[in-house]
Amino acid sequence: MQNAKDSFYMTLRTRLTVIDPERTILLRGSVRPGILVEEAEAPFSQFPNDVFVLRWLGMAADMDLASTMVAEQCEIVYQTCGTQSFGGLDRGRALSAMDQELMAMVQPFYTPKLNYVATPPAAMLTQVFWDEPVFAPIVVQRDRLSRSASVMVYSYQEQGE
Amino acid sequence: MAATWFSAPAPVTRRVRAYFAPVNRAAQTPVLFDPSEQGRLSLDAPPSPWISLGWIQDFMRKPASKSAPLLTGIPAAPLEQVRETLQAQVSFQFLSWTKLTMALATGSQHMNLLAPATGAAAAADGAQAIPAVTPQSGSTSTSILLATADAAKFTAGSMIAVDADYTGQTGFVGVPIAGAYARQALTDVDYIRRVTFNVALVTQAGATGLTLAEPLPGGAPAVGAKLQVVTGFVDREGGSFYQEWSALFVMQGSQGERIFFYYPRLQTMTGAEEAITPLNGKSQNGQSRVLLKGQFLALSVTDPLDGERVVCYRSFLPAANALV
Repeated sequence: MQNAKDSFYMTLRTRLTVIDPERTILLRGSVRPGILVEEAEAPFSQFPNDVFVLRWLGMAADMDLASTMVAEQCEIVYQTCGTQSFGGLDRGRALSAMDQELMAMVQPFYTPKLNYVATPPAAMLTQVFWDEPVFAPIVVQRDRLSRSASVMVYSYQEQGE
Repeated sequence: MAATWFSAPAPVTRRVRAYFAPVNRAAQTPVLFDPSEQGRLSLDAPPSPWISLGWIQDFMRKPASKSAPLLTGIPAAPLEQVRETLQAQVSFQFLSWTKLTMALATGSQHMNLLAPATGAAAAADGAQAIPAVTPQSGSTSTSILLATADAAKFTAGSMIAVDADYTGQTGFVGVPIAGAYARQALTDVDYIRRVTFNVALVTQAGATGLTLAEPLPGGAPAVGAKLQVVTGFVDREGGSFYQEWSALFVMQGSQGERIFFYYPRLQTMTGAEEAITPLNGKSQNGQSRVLLKGQFLALSVTDPLDGERVVCYRSFLPAANALV
């Protein structure tokens, strides 16, 4: 399962660097693409703005198949206050831009499964795949707009996993 | 080098893609699909003459062949089975309205509405058209060269039909795609351009010619071809012509496996019908999407491998490293 989660995150991260190379975050002293996994970082008192945060929630398994299929729900949270140069009046446009980037990031809806414990990452035998995102309504907190999108990510368990 | 493997469960797919290719009606020759050679085709760029019709939905295959037992003895008991009839049907909904999807989803011939001449008498399938113009030599499937006076008759954003004048021939009309069957000689010189599938959208119109958004299905304009502006499309409930195409349906599995359903000969078997789907399931009175419904009868071909008559081939290309 961890390999599937890692592969999903790394795929979105790689795609984001192409879709919007300028969406970055300074985290632990290094500039990275503007997407991170909540459970792999120090706890946040508040999510950073203008960044995609992946949060893994529910899980289910179908063990009656030739290979066990695991489904994990990934909630992708993002928020923005717009830009200072526009006094935040562009926050709606900024959120729409992130909506668009997320829709682009999840396509195509599959990626090879890699084992990121190994260096370099080792290709596995199956592919991770997922459904279309389900977008939640915008949440308004003062000048901050936030949204979450839920994606169900599927993978098959391989030998040794 | 040793290979590792996994046990692949039943394929998981999101949607079905449809590809069609014209049957040579006069020779009754379908277009071949060889999964051993073409199974890894690019789904976005299928090999010619296959035309991608994009995603479809509610794809259903219905085998209608009937078998019956040969009974012997007292009491009678089955000794053998025989196939009494060979038949299959396919139905689905197109997710777009184009010249080809409309034609496939109608039970009869499908026509282009040619831009009418000024003052022409009204007709249900299009009035007498503005006279056609002749492309100049050097035209290609995406670029139509025209004399300056002719080029001025077209604008960017218009649609065109490119084909020959009708000269009184009977039988199947349209090459390489038969768009109609003329039972008797007609008088409309534009008839072939009314039924041709050789249509395209103009993206640029200049003083020397036109640039097209997509290649003409029939390739570069043939000698004698002419072009006219198309304003839309029309089909009729009734008539005697049946569309017949080779069809290929592809399911791409989550692990890279592919399932192909290849029908060498499919004929539309019902009249034009639409499916109305509300965009918001909670609001039945809101906006609705209108989908073209297609229902087809599979016709038989004789497989040269062993002389058997068949109506469909189902192929499966397993995922890499999957146990078989």
